[in-house]
Amino acid sequence: MARGGENRGRLLLIILIITSLFLITLDLRGVSVISGVRNGTQSALSPVQSVGATILSPVRNFFVDVVYLGRTRSEMEALRTENGELKSQLREQRSIDAQLKQLQGVLDLAGKAQFKVVSARVISQGATTSFTQTITIDAGSRNGVKPNMTVINSYGLIGVVKTVYSNSALIALASDPSFRIGVRVAGTQQIGILSGQGTRKGVLQLLDNQSTIKVGDILLARGSVNNQPFVPGVPVGEVTSVDNAAGAVTQTADVRFFANFSSMGVVSVVLDAPEEDPRDSLIPPKPQPTPIPTVTVFVTPSQSPSPNSNGTD
Amino acid sequence: MSTRKISLTAALFIIIYIVQEAFVTQLQIAGGGFSLFLIFALLWAALSSPNVGALTGFVAGFLIDLSQSTAGAFGQWTLVLVLVGFGISYLGLGYENVRLNPFTITFLVSISVLAARVLYLLLSLLLGSNVGSFTSVITSLLIGLLWSAAVVPIAMPVVARAFDFINDTRSRL
Repeated sequence: MARGGENRGRLLLIILIITSLFLITLDLRGVSVISGVRNGTQSALSPVQSVGATILSPVRNFFVDVVYLGRTRSEMEALRTENGELKSQLREQRSIDAQLKQLQGVLDLAGKAQFKVVSARVISQGATTSFTQTITIDAGSRNGVKPNMTVINSYGLIGVVKTVYSNSALIALASDPSFRIGVRVAGTQQIGILSGQGTRKGVLQLLDNQSTIKVGDILLARGSVNNQPFVPGVPVGEVTSVDNAAGAVTQTADVRFFANFSSMGVVSVVLDAPEEDPRDSLIPPKPQPTPIPTVTVFVTPSQSPSPNSNGTD
Repeated sequence: MSTRKISLTAALFIIIYIVQEAFVTQLQIAGGGFSLFLIFALLWAALSSPNVGALTGFVAGFLIDLSQSTAGAFGQWTLVLVLVGFGISYLGLGYENVRLNPFTITFLVSISVLAARVLYLLLSLLLGSNVGSFTSVITSLLIGLLWSAAVVPIAMPVVARAFDFINDTRSRL
């Protein structure tokens, strides 16, 4: 009896092994039924697997994270450092791009006026102790910079060289309250004195009581003897409001400087200027409004009218 | 074997198989992780007689062969688990203390998982499959052994209770 059970067991084992070998043979011979069964199982399981993936998505990487905790931490640290370096490079690149743009603008202006200039970076801005409006540039006497030279940027007048050192120079900005410059209204011969007010706004006082100015007039530097401290024709600012107070001897106006004194990266010192006055040629072009695109639709009427539109029914 | 036993056992195997395919394979476990279904099948075989062990191995191997994650020839796992299922149940039946001792059955099942994988590997080599570099194979086998040794003690009480419930026996595991 026991021997019969043992034989049956052996027989079962042999049958199972032969069946397995049969399955392997069928699969290796490429019988499509086998792959079909596997594909069917996968099709049936895929919805369950989708549910499983959704449920386990928050903890899927938990085991790996636990095992590689130290490595993950060091990788995070390395990535943080790299990210910081990249951010720093990006900031530097943006700064360089802005300076390049400013340099291009100021060289355009100087080229148009045929000024001989030396460009310099602004290395220091403001003087909190003296309350004066100044900047320091990284060009000095070694670069040919001398006191009382005109300093410009891509928008126009910035100021005048006040003090020169061998490798740097201190510039008095046009916005300084003590700054005075003789200006001319573009397109006319009206002249006046523009005074800094400590901000981007200046005050213009016309010298002739017969002259009149209006909002939007452009002011240009009138120029000095031997082009020092001011070369002629440099754009200075634009009239923003006019004071027509009764009884005033001469007309006064508020002027907005073209140059933004709070964001200067690169400026140019005018070393030499041509003999002839550039007149109004350096006036910045007015901003052009962006054209609004229009769409024109052409409709060609059909030659054969529709049956319902002939009015015969 | 009664219809109740067969149907309950089949249902249990299918549930564990679905859990393995839908959940355990989704976890990104270090070193390739473990197969809960393989451990369950070998634990079940260890508690059974050699004939039932071989039959359990056959069914479990067939189901593993159906899995999409199985790269080898269909029937390869079936053959491997018939042999290993028979072997583990034979060893368990022959040594009563092995069968009733949780530590030795943990050892037995973990070694059986390793043996099954090695056998599968050899069979793959015989069939001309690419099994990867020697280092990666050894690493995978060792990590699989460690995972099995960790999971078997956790799964063992559950499997033993299910086995006792279906077969009306009382295990001392």
